Amino acid sequence: MTDTTMASAAAKPVARTSILPGNFWGLVRRSIVYLLLSIAAFISVFPFFWMIVGTTNTSADIIKGKASFGGAFMQNATTFFTQVDALRVFWNSAFIAVVGTVLTLAISSLAGYGFEMFRSRVRERIFGLLLLLLSIPFAAMMVPLFVMIAQAKLVNTYVAVIVPTVASIFIIFYFRQATKAFPSELRDAAKIDGLKEWQIFLYVYMPVMRSTYAAATIIVFMANWNNYLWPLIVLQTAENKTITLIVSALTSAYVPDYGMTLFATVLATLPTLIIFFLLQRRFVEGMLGAVK
Amino acid sequence: MAQARLARREHLTGWAFIAPALILLGLFMIYPIIWSLWMSFQVGKGMNLSFGGFANIERLTKDPVFLRALGNTFTFFIVQVPIMIVLALLLAVALNDATLRFRGLFRTAIFLPCVCSLIAYSTLFKSMFANDGVVNQALMALHIIGAPIAWFSDPFWAKVVIILAITWRWTGYNMIFYLAALQNIDRSIYEAARIDGVPAWARFRYLTIPMLKPVILFTTVISTIGTLQLFDEVYNFTAGNGGPSDSTLTLSLYIYNLTFKFMPSFGYSATVSWVIVVVVGILSLIQFLIARDRRSS
Amino acid sequence: MNRIVSRHGRMLGLALAGISFLSVTAASAGDVTVWAWDPNFNGATMKEAASRYAAINPDANIIVDDSASQDDIRAKLQTQLLAGSTDGLPDIVLIQDDVAQKYLQSFPGAFEPLSDSIDMSVFAQYKVAAATLDGKSYSLPFDSGVTGLFYRSDMLAEAGFTPADLENITWDRLVEIGTEVKAKTGKPLLDLDLNDTGLIRMMMQSAGAWYFNEDGSLNIVDNAPLKKALETYAKFYQADLVKPVSGWAEYTGAFTSGEVAMVPVGVWITGTIKANADQSGLWGVAPIPRLDVEGSVNASNQGGSSWYVLASSDNKEEAIDFLKTVWGGDVDFYQKILTAQGAVGSLLAARDGEAYQATDEFFGGAPVWQNFSTWLSQIPSVDYGTFTAEVDSAVQAQLPTIIEGGDLTAALQAISDQAQQQMQ
Repeated sequence: MTDTTMASAAAKPVARTSILPGNFWGLVRRSIVYLLLSIAAFISVFPFFWMIVGTTNTSADIIKGKASFGGAFMQNATTFFTQVDALRVFWNSAFIAVVGTVLTLAISSLAGYGFEMFRSRVRERIFGLLLLLLSIPFAAMMVPLFVMIAQAKLVNTYVAVIVPTVASIFIIFYFRQATKAFPSELRDAAKIDGLKEWQIFLYVYMPVMRSTYAAATIIVFMANWNNYLWPLIVLQTAENKTITLIVSALTSAYVPDYGMTLFATVLATLPTLIIFFLLQRRFVEGMLGAVK
Repeated sequence: MAQARLARREHLTGWAFIAPALILLGLFMIYPIIWSLWMSFQVGKGMNLSFGGFANIERLTKDPVFLRALGNTFTFFIVQVPIMIVLALLLAVALNDATLRFRGLFRTAIFLPCVCSLIAYSTLFKSMFANDGVVNQALMALHIIGAPIAWFSDPFWAKVVIILAITWRWTGYNMIFYLAALQNIDRSIYEAARIDGVPAWARFRYLTIPMLKPVILFTTVISTIGTLQLFDEVYNFTAGNGGPSDSTLTLSLYIYNLTFKFMPSFGYSATVSWVIVVVVGILSLIQFLIARDRRSS
Repeated sequence: MNRIVSRHGRMLGLALAGISFLSVTAASAGDVTVWAWDPNFNGATMKEAASRYAAINPDANIIVDDSASQDDIRAKLQTQLLAGSTDGLPDIVLIQDDVAQKYLQSFPGAFEPLSDSIDMSVFAQYKVAAATLDGKSYSLPFDSGVTGLFYRSDMLAEAGFTPADLENITWDRLVEIGTEVKAKTGKPLLDLDLNDTGLIRMMMQSAGAWYFNEDGSLNIVDNAPLKKALETYAKFYQADLVKPVSGWAEYTGAFTSGEVAMVPVGVWITGTIKANADQSGLWGVAPIPRLDVEGSVNASNQGGSSWYVLASSDNKEEAIDFLKTVWGGDVDFYQKILTAQGAVGSLLAARDGEAYQATDEFFGGAPVWQNFSTWLSQIPSVDYGTFTAEVDSAVQAQLPTIIEGGDLTAALQAISDQAQQQMQ
């Protein structure tokens, strides 16, 4: 969508040819905009650069604040892979994040669609209540939640990590907003064709809203991948820990190895970065739908 | 008759769509919440709890740590949310200029921080703001400061770092919302205004802001909730202490300490959580009212 | 349409089948699971112990999980004890001494008393006392937190002092020495974190005092050792002898990279210091200074932790037998973990072992372990009570004011008030 606006704007260079002083001040203003944007972009990206530099330095160099590339990358990688069962840890994280994301999108988009398409007074009330519930801090619910999980004999299972987060109020809210932009003619036409409501959802709504789903995927995947407190409590054995839990423990060792920790940090960030870059174009479109 | 049946059918379908989510929320949210509401009337330590009526609420009013945490949380909220919203808006407006080069690049770069994992970003910020970290080195090289700032040992600067960190992480995220909303605005309105000689700042103030109001409200409410629940950053930056001198202690971190660090006092920590709920409720209401007020005037 | 429905039906079936794979295999019966928090320190010593037990007892399977940090372990333990659920708990868990009473008193019945089956008189008594409640002791004492003043001998020499100058001194004298060191070498004396009360606590304990009276009530306002400790703490800052740091990483980073001259700390830091092999011979250890108050000695404690057996464990007998056999009697084992991990255990008999007699080239050929043993026997025993975390937090709240030279009496009153409030 951005590209189309850009193309159309480029096609008609409106009112940009004014008298000289305006042009001059326009140039100055433009330069300032570029400068400020460059500063913002630099500040945003610099820590990533710093992190990558860190993976190539030894612990001692990092403490001294060395900010140039070093030759300890292989050493850091080796330390990490000997100390951490990386395959296992990544499998755990990936499983939880992928399954959690798919389920969250399914359940929450259904609800968002339901709230927007079938309005009733009771459901509006419920929706309002949900928004208020959004403000309850997780720490307050953790102990009762754990009691439930323990009674269901689900401690130490992926189910315990995934299922409580699947109905996400924020994502329901997000999908409801996005559904406002869903053309109702499509639904009417599908109804005339004899499609049932769930078929409309599955075969019309979902394909049409794919950008919304893409944006939600990034948000939910990030949240799942980085989830810390709850997995910490319900995952008990070393075999089912996630990469986020492992990296967190690495930083508090008696003899901290920063090079190795930064290496682990980069590894832990990589999947979310990849998901982001894969879905980036759709992401902006999806956000667009949500705020219409 | 047929119409009534159709309406009832429609009604049931509506419930069917939201049922899975409602069941899950009921199980994993409503139940724990009611439990915590019940707990907020209990006093005692560890497993020895007894009904205490409003004793916990009374305790709140006399608890200097709670008041400090409340004050800090408000400081973060009042300072950080506006800075972030304004920054995000300005960046979005700048990036919305269709003639700008490298738009995609800028957009991606500025959005990138929110993809960074919490652990990664707290490790990074801690080392960057260390005593001889890269930030102090840069500031000294530029002769802005003479001696290194002990960021995390000073109650004022520690707050500043937290605010910088949250702003760094979430400005791009909010910016995307505005950017998306801006692209929905009919460009011809702007052209018309420009031809009428309306200056840029006035276009921003009287065209952009009103049209973005729903999104601004949405992001403000979300940021308010996020800031009042602020935990991850302060927990990771200060090794769970909220220090120095409780200067970065937030309500959520206090709840965590009351439950997990101190002699567990669960009833009291539940009471503090309900303070957050009440505060968010009030603030959201105020924000909605302000938004509505402006619209009618 | 039907085909589509049945396809979805099949997918649902598959999904349900998938859920059965979701549960991760739990430890089977007969296994003894142990939680420790550092793979290079307590985790490693526990693994060594496990392999020794396996040699005697081939059926035993002891699983050491050292993948979580200490804070994480505390959160996990406390959540599950609060929830009254024991499914996820290990059989043995490592707990730091100063928080032990909090667990023992908050969760009666959660831990197994060990003094019935293990003779506690063979361990350092102050360690046993920390885990004793109503006449029963609940822990197998692990590492000692006996403190030492670790110092860079090269910097000391550069400032014109000899190691003997650090023997048997007061903290006030250390401030003078530190001033000299700073003047000659430009290095601050030590690095301090305002979020950590470790130094203040070790000063206080050297005088046999803690935050509480014997009956558990607060002892702050008239606590002379505490007052003197806070005063000394402020002196370091006012004499500009402190490099301010924040967090474990920066704290250890400062003294392992030669940015400060000294670090007064528990013996468990040895591994962290010795990890920098290039600094071999540049370090020394002196007894920590004493406070200039009555009853203060040149020995104290910081941290140190012990092994606890959960009452919910299905393999209690095996767990206890394991602790008793290896940790409660294997002198050779203690020599091994001293050499490999720098872990100073609490088994008194181990002190006569050969590793404890050895000298260490890293510390300039000094008999450091023997010294630590001597200091260990002098540590005044204190009752850590149940509210140490609350008072710590109250002390931290006052530190920025105190180091600026604020009024100590007022600060003590504020600490007392806040702590009183938190303890209700």
